[in-house]
Amino acid sequence: MRDRNIFLIVLAFVVIGPFVQPKVIITEMLIFGIVAVANNIMIGYTGMLSFGQAMFFGIGAYVAGLLLKAGMPLIVALPVGTLFVLVLSIAVGYFCVQRTGLYFICITFAFNQMFYFIAYSWTGLTGGEDGLPGIPRPSLLLDPVAFYVFVAVVFLACLVAMKRIVDSPLGLICQTIRENPSRAAAVGYNVKLYKLTAFTIASTFTGLAGTVYAMLYGIVPIDQIHWLKSGDFIFMTLLGGTGNFFGPILGAVGYIWMSETFSLYWARWPLIMGIVFVVVVVYLRGGIVELIGKVYGSIQRAREAP
Amino acid sequence: MSFLILSQILNGFATGMLYALVGVGLTLVLGVLNLPNFAHGTLFAFGAYFTYTVANLTDSFYLGVLIGPLLVVLIGFVIESQGVRRLYAAHHDYQLLFLFAVALILQETVILIWGPVGFSLLPPKFLAGAVDLGFTVYPKYRLALILFTATIVVALYLMLTRTNVGAILRAGIENREMVKVLGIDINKVFLFTFGLGAYLAGLAGGLATPIWGLTPTMGFDILPISFVIVVVAGLGSILGAIAAGILIGLAQSLTTIWWPEAANVVIYLIMGLTIILRPQGLFGSR
Amino acid sequence: MISRLSEKLRSLRTMGLSMAGAAALATVMFLPTQSAAEEEVVILGIWPITGPYADMGPLLNRGVEIALEEVGYKVAGKKIKYITRDSETKAGTAARRAQGAIDSEGVKFIIGPWSSGVALAVTEVAKKNKVMYYFSGGTEDITGKRCHKYAFMWAANAWTAMDANLKIFKKFNPNAKSIYLFVVDYAFGWTLQKYVEKLAPKYGLKIAGVDRHPLGHREYSSFITKAMATKPDAVYMINFGLDAISAVRQLYNFGFTPKKPVILSWSAGVEELVQMDPAMRANLQFGTNYYYTVDTPGNKSFVDAYKKKSGGIPPGYAPGAGYGLMKMTLLGMQKANSTDPKKVIQALEGLKGKNFVGDFAINGRNHQTVRPYFVARTKPEDKMANKYDFATIQDISSTEQPRDLNQCQDIGGF
Repeated sequence: MRDRNIFLIVLAFVVIGPFVQPKVIITEMLIFGIVAVANNIMIGYTGMLSFGQAMFFGIGAYVAGLLLKAGMPLIVALPVGTLFVLVLSIAVGYFCVQRTGLYFICITFAFNQMFYFIAYSWTGLTGGEDGLPGIPRPSLLLDPVAFYVFVAVVFLACLVAMKRIVDSPLGLICQTIRENPSRAAAVGYNVKLYKLTAFTIASTFTGLAGTVYAMLYGIVPIDQIHWLKSGDFIFMTLLGGTGNFFGPILGAVGYIWMSETFSLYWARWPLIMGIVFVVVVVYLRGGIVELIGKVYGSIQRAREAP
Repeated sequence: MSFLILSQILNGFATGMLYALVGVGLTLVLGVLNLPNFAHGTLFAFGAYFTYTVANLTDSFYLGVLIGPLLVVLIGFVIESQGVRRLYAAHHDYQLLFLFAVALILQETVILIWGPVGFSLLPPKFLAGAVDLGFTVYPKYRLALILFTATIVVALYLMLTRTNVGAILRAGIENREMVKVLGIDINKVFLFTFGLGAYLAGLAGGLATPIWGLTPTMGFDILPISFVIVVVAGLGSILGAIAAGILIGLAQSLTTIWWPEAANVVIYLIMGLTIILRPQGLFGSR
Repeated sequence: MISRLSEKLRSLRTMGLSMAGAAALATVMFLPTQSAAEEEVVILGIWPITGPYADMGPLLNRGVEIALEEVGYKVAGKKIKYITRDSETKAGTAARRAQGAIDSEGVKFIIGPWSSGVALAVTEVAKKNKVMYYFSGGTEDITGKRCHKYAFMWAANAWTAMDANLKIFKKFNPNAKSIYLFVVDYAFGWTLQKYVEKLAPKYGLKIAGVDRHPLGHREYSSFITKAMATKPDAVYMINFGLDAISAVRQLYNFGFTPKKPVILSWSAGVEELVQMDPAMRANLQFGTNYYYTVDTPGNKSFVDAYKKKSGGIPPGYAPGAGYGLMKMTLLGMQKANSTDPKKVIQALEGLKGKNFVGDFAINGRNHQTVRPYFVARTKPEDKMANKYDFATIQDISSTEQPRDLNQCQDIGGF
């Protein structure tokens, strides 16, 4: 399906969503939608599985939260928070891209743990286990509807930006690297540099999503920087489908929807999540996108059958 | 102060041996199957719970530790033959995530079977209580643990270096393709290795119950530590896993003397430094 | 050209159908939002059903249900609709669930969760949405730094708790001189440590040493070795749940206890004791917000009702808290004869009375419920009348936290 059409469907979802679900649920779906799509720049396009993206989400949230609390306007807090994450991700990414595969996973995990520990211990700054409270929203965004519109605009803008990036030569090179890193190196690309770029881009957008999150409840809880949150991000990306740019949005939506719905009916609902994940990983590696493709394909075949 | 340092070294050694047992199982699976087993922690948990149930049914801790881990092997066989085997052709990441999902399912299954409330299991009467070592008073059970784990580790090492089966495993770690070419049924090797890894995880879990008790989340609690050990040890290095386990245990206990709040995070620092400075691990060759 | 036009039409139709399909899917997929009926009041219980404290969720909820059954799910002329959500002990997720329930179910009153960290997130949601919030837990910030007009605290203040613990310890160990502290490493632990350090001299006790451990820590051998080197008369623990149980277990392994007592200063009581072997808990002192042998008529009926639901196990702090939170919320509604949060809050401020734990008074300035805190000592196994006869209550005190230590400057308005 043409990308422009998909974009229109996403737009439709953004517009209709708050009428059929509590605003806070849709808002989180959009925020984590940004994270999942950004995460896919690493997983789907470049073949890097990071188990530490929560550190960037959390740091973005903390920095923006502190700036907003200090009285900075939105126009300062969000960009500065995002910029902070960008610089940090270059530093962290530099070390991470030295390794691949399991080691890459482990080093991103190790960094995540270290930042978690810093957030946990530096209670004067972050509130530690109790979280960073009292983050004000600019008066323009106090109304839940206004805030939702703001988040929706940020979401769509990030999508457009990230789409531009992956459609550019950079995106193609990243995919080459995913397919065959040695061949890419042989042709003359600086593999590590491109990986670092992908890492930085993905992490920066994740941090941006974090800065928006800080205003959602007015508090940055510490679980947003915990490694389990990194696991959630991976789940969302894979659930949606790593083969398609828009896929991870479905993953974020699906994950939050399942989490909200299943938890209402069974105390052991994480078991269902685990089973869903197993099904995706074993049978439906393309995620929900693959499922839709299969359904669409069988409808087409049924229509074309003489 | 020197007494304190000595006792902390003993402490670190005791917990380190337990970590080593967990790490060895994980490193075997990683080396032979090239698979980071994210479900290793929950196998550890199942080992503890099976041990607890058998020990309560038979009134014997020893029987619990004997039979419990064997039941975990069955779970390991099922995971390998039904799940992991289907994914060998798939990308590495999917095997990893499959096992992570399995870990999630297994953890909830523990709650379904045994409930969410934790349990305690006392060490056997012979090993209960503490003994005065001069510089410190130390639980008999932990001393026994050191001896017992050392025995297991030696037995494992002998198995790997002196037997045919061991030779095949070591060959599998070094060069999987070659093993296939030599006509050995690689599926059997994988199944055996995964089962062995499960056994070691389950055994560690059972042995840990008098110290750490039982709780459904104990699997996810031990998982990060086991990966730190494997990374610090180096891929597929058994000796490395043992050394790394002890190193991690010592790091934790010695840190407690001067900076107790950092007892947990210091191990990630070590892992991070290892990856950056000596990426193949302390003992690895790849 | 015509074929291109028909192609365009076809793709437009596909797009249109897809959008319609997406909209239909969205509507079908999402649960229809419900708002409260006029004759109903919606109360939300947010509890840990999964995650680290999954064992507490069902217990807390059981206590709540008993309180609701006592009033037949009716109060102030309205029906009570009680809904629950899983906090997962994740503050961010719990905030989402609380906000979502407020938006879609018309929740006006929230009770729970279990963890202080999560409570501090939920209290922000309550404040923003102007719904009443009653919490029972260790963080004194709910009625301290983060106090606001809509939040109340049911558990006794930490100062009260620490004072009671030290008093009883000294009473039964008159020759004791020093205690060693194990403190869980976050704001809750630090506050209680500060109080103990302030109060210890009053009872002639020195602090032999302090070790802070991370929350969720399981391996205490290093801390125990350090502690035993200072030869204290007791290990005084400022932690709870599995951390406390693990530490007690290992203190027993090392032979420190039962020779010397271990003090669990902020304990869940029964919930923690059942997870310990009798040998481990032979010489414990524990402080708790609720213990089932409290001798009031209200408590007797609660315990009986609870035992029917639990298969004979008596209630510990968790069900006691669930019951207490719902009882107090209902009491406010009854006194105000209304389910309007503002009126209920005004009715509760300054309210005094007796309930199943004893005398209570709600401080109008910071919304702290001043009520008894219990300190008990365990019995050795041969003295237990039945397998749940863990301990005897030695003291019931309600020493209020000194005014100058409370950080609620201004509770604010509606």
